[in-house]
Amino acid sequence: MKAENPRQIGARVQRFEDTRLLSGAARYIDDIRLPNTLHLSFVRAQVAHGRILEIDTFGLEDIGYPTWVFTGEDIGNLSMKAHQDYPEMQYSEQPLLARDVVRFVGEPVAAVLAEDPYRAEDAAELVFVDYDPLPVVGTMDQARDASIPPIFEGWKNSMFVERQMKGGDLEAARAQAAHVIRRTYRNQRQAGVPMECRGVVAHYTPGDRMLTVWSSTQMPHLVRTYIAEELDLPEARIRVIAPDVGGGFGIKGQVFGEEVLVAWLAIKTGRPVKWIEDRREHLVASLHARDHEHTLEAYVSDDGRLLGLWADISVDVGAYSTFPFTAAGDPGMAAKVMPGPYDFQAYEATFRGFATNKCPIGTYRGVARPSAVFSQERLMDDIAREIGMDPIAFRLRNVIREFPYKNVLGFTYDPGSYAESLEKIRDVLADDIAAAEASKSSATTRTGVGIACFVEQTAHGTPDFTRRRVPIETGYISARVEMQPDGTVVIGLGLQSHGQGLETTMAQVAADALGVLPETIFVRHGDTLTSPYSMGTWGSRGGPLGGGAVHMASMQIAEKLKVLAAHEMQADKDAITLYGGRAYVTDNPDRFVEIRTLARHALRNVENLPEGMIPGLEAEFSLDGPRDGTYANAVHAAVVEIDVPTGKMKLKRFVVVEDCGTILNPLVVDGQVRGGVVQGIGSALFEHFVYDAECQPLTTSFADYLMPQAPEIPDIEVHHIETPTPLTPLGAKGLGEGGAIGPAAAIANAVSNALDVEVSETPLKASAIWHLSAHLRGEA
Amino acid sequence: MRPSAFDYHKASTLDQALALLAEFGDDGRPLAGGQSLVPMMNLRLARPRHLVDINALPLDAIEIRGDALHIGALVRHERYFTDPLIAEHFPAFLEAVHWIGHPTIRRHGTMGGSVSHADPTAELPSVCVLHDALIVAASASGERRIPATEFFLNAYVTALEPGEMVTAVEFPLPSGPTSGAFMELGERVGDFAIAGIGVVLGHDGNTITSARIVCSGARLVPVRSADVEAFLVGRTLADPGAQEAGRIFSAAIDPVGDHAASAAYRKGLIKELTRRCIAHAAGKASA
Repeated sequence: MKAENPRQIGARVQRFEDTRLLSGAARYIDDIRLPNTLHLSFVRAQVAHGRILEIDTFGLEDIGYPTWVFTGEDIGNLSMKAHQDYPEMQYSEQPLLARDVVRFVGEPVAAVLAEDPYRAEDAAELVFVDYDPLPVVGTMDQARDASIPPIFEGWKNSMFVERQMKGGDLEAARAQAAHVIRRTYRNQRQAGVPMECRGVVAHYTPGDRMLTVWSSTQMPHLVRTYIAEELDLPEARIRVIAPDVGGGFGIKGQVFGEEVLVAWLAIKTGRPVKWIEDRREHLVASLHARDHEHTLEAYVSDDGRLLGLWADISVDVGAYSTFPFTAAGDPGMAAKVMPGPYDFQAYEATFRGFATNKCPIGTYRGVARPSAVFSQERLMDDIAREIGMDPIAFRLRNVIREFPYKNVLGFTYDPGSYAESLEKIRDVLADDIAAAEASKSSATTRTGVGIACFVEQTAHGTPDFTRRRVPIETGYISARVEMQPDGTVVIGLGLQSHGQGLETTMAQVAADALGVLPETIFVRHGDTLTSPYSMGTWGSRGGPLGGGAVHMASMQIAEKLKVLAAHEMQADKDAITLYGGRAYVTDNPDRFVEIRTLARHALRNVENLPEGMIPGLEAEFSLDGPRDGTYANAVHAAVVEIDVPTGKMKLKRFVVVEDCGTILNPLVVDGQVRGGVVQGIGSALFEHFVYDAECQPLTTSFADYLMPQAPEIPDIEVHHIETPTPLTPLGAKGLGEGGAIGPAAAIANAVSNALDVEVSETPLKASAIWHLSAHLRGEA
Repeated sequence: MRPSAFDYHKASTLDQALALLAEFGDDGRPLAGGQSLVPMMNLRLARPRHLVDINALPLDAIEIRGDALHIGALVRHERYFTDPLIAEHFPAFLEAVHWIGHPTIRRHGTMGGSVSHADPTAELPSVCVLHDALIVAASASGERRIPATEFFLNAYVTALEPGEMVTAVEFPLPSGPTSGAFMELGERVGDFAIAGIGVVLGHDGNTITSARIVCSGARLVPVRSADVEAFLVGRTLADPGAQEAGRIFSAAIDPVGDHAASAAYRKGLIKELTRRCIAHAAGKASA
């Protein structure tokens, strides 16, 4: 009999953190309660664009309790800066509290502190700000209009940036094309909506000259670095802690002005300062997403081959560039990923980000890819329709099949399962496709099937960020693994887990390497004092890179355990297997030593260590991503039923075929996919942040800003294909965002199929569906 | 999103509640289920200085008094689902309840609260107008009955005076066989209606002898249509002319258009929901 290690990676391990999260034992930002705390309430801009004439705090003089007020005058030149190092970039800077000019409704103008949060809110209401209104840049059309002044002085137009990406010979593609198909597609502006809003608590203790900042963030180290640079403090004396974080979705993957301001206020007042964002603040002034408009022109041969693609990409980025992904993040990402999973070698894209008087845009699950895939996959259907091909057959003709594949922009795709995924979905949907066809005879009830096929670049390494010249600069993730004298393990993880299940999956990874049970591994994260420097959790990289770093560090400890075990059992190191908490002689499992005994020897009774072995069982590993990342792929499919007379649509079925390489934990993968799909359904059908012509927000609560809810969500079927990548230690590809990328395209394609009409924008609310189906009611 | 300061008073009798409301006037509001008032206070859209909690008052009867069904102001919405008097006499009312919010809202929300709040998309104000209900309003100086059609003045505005509160709503019992239906369409389950239609058909055998129809969501208050009602009377359950009725109602209403739904869409919905609602009510009656 041989000793073999039963694999934890790939096992359906229930999430360890759920005990805490589901039993009320979790501690979120509002649970951080320090004595003597001052509570912060913001006075926020009520006009979209205006010059501040006066801030009147007279009402606070006889309010009857102590208050502290700070305005832009008090904070010096503290600000948020997020520049890309390109000469074309026009710079914006957002003061932590507006100085002189406000540029969107909700921008912080004054900070009001009181000893009770109710009183802080009452006091903030008594601060009156007088504005001289300035012309509003409210839409992308207005931003294009040279007669409307840009919102920043000295700008030559209303664009943060306009650049190009190209590859291959587009003129030749155009000349060869039998079909030229040009369309414009739009996605609406959204808010990203984690269940827990943001919040910051800061406390400065002069005894150890330590500034401690608790923030509901995905990137504690970057918050620390930004605060240190902006406030000119030594980074060694700042500790940033992300407590339990109730969802982030990329929204909390930025450094915000409030994080710097609350830290500054704590130092300034000498007391703990706490700010808990409410839902209205979150919807209006935290961070928005999407708001894309793409015009695409495809060149197609007469046998249905895509020869080339021209793209013009505009994004309404709002009033300021956000840190660290900048105002160019969304438009640049859309241009970069537009070629998708298809084999063509001529492409030219122009992309730009417009500055308008709206809440800034930043990263939200999928980051431009939901919009790029919406356009790309709507276009694929519109082309198929125009040239008379079946949409799946048309994709199968054009999809990349041989790997590695160097795409038109020079990015190398590692192996995936694009064609297999399409074939799989075609099998799964066969009955629905037939039923949709049959429903074409009905003028009142139509069903439709739509798919979206896409790749997602994940776990990209440092070169990808330096190419973009964004302030994030680097793409590695670090982990430190320490075995304790009793054989239990602590992992200090540079990632921050806000729903990903990292406390479980990372334990599974280390357990495999160390031959111990995952339950004996404690994963610590989200605290700069206990975790090695890292970029935080975003960009679908926790599994491949965080898991890879944990694996590599754990393997170093495993190696040392094997040397020690070999020494103690007088066996060969390479003949040792670690599993179940023991080190076995592989070919003779009767001979073993407990790992906890080895750990005690390595850490406590070090007198018997082999000659030259250094005490300790600790290793740290920083893993950078591959140059071009690793490409996960998926096909999403939606089946819809539309009641033509009322426009009421029912999402009958949603199917995902996904390939994220090695699956670390199928339960976690399925949960990630389903959660993402639900958010994608929100983008497709409900979520719309609406401004009026003066850029006053109209959807400022959940009464108007509609989130997808359980009755609207069908059972989401998930099928897996596993194509491990050679580019990461475990073969894993990123997965966290993929679920949100496909639904808008798949659902819009299903509507298009059902109604036999082109669909060019989201959200597809009942009103929109009703207007799209006018021809079936004989009204158009 | 924290309310401005207020004082809380728990009333143990109706007289005490009315005395407190009289004392506070515009600054006082009764608190029942709190399903609309409390969120509005958190958003500081409502800023009562005094809340008078009326939950302990004996205002939760559903019973026949004379020729009307009396529904106390504190009756929670979920009770209608199982109340035999509602099912027997007011089928459109019963159907409407299914469209009210979510289970939690139906558990806490009250008749008095819903009609006092007067949301233009809400079901119960529409049901009151549909059935020519009387709103019973009490104050320290007495009690009065206000016809539903005169009670709802505008969106969130009613005929209630300062110091007055709703204690009950009286629904006249139908004099002969009736059928009814209520349908609405919202973006999601439980959402504010984009448009809703309620209909009550009185009939003698196969002939429609009386008709009432109401539309919610399209205007600032629930809207009846005398034209549609007149059109339906005299027609048969087998052929009530539902499609034409929908056309008439839709043509008569000039609905609001907003970011949630265009005016044209609301018009289209009124037409289709009217058709379906009449057909459904007529179908039930002849079944």
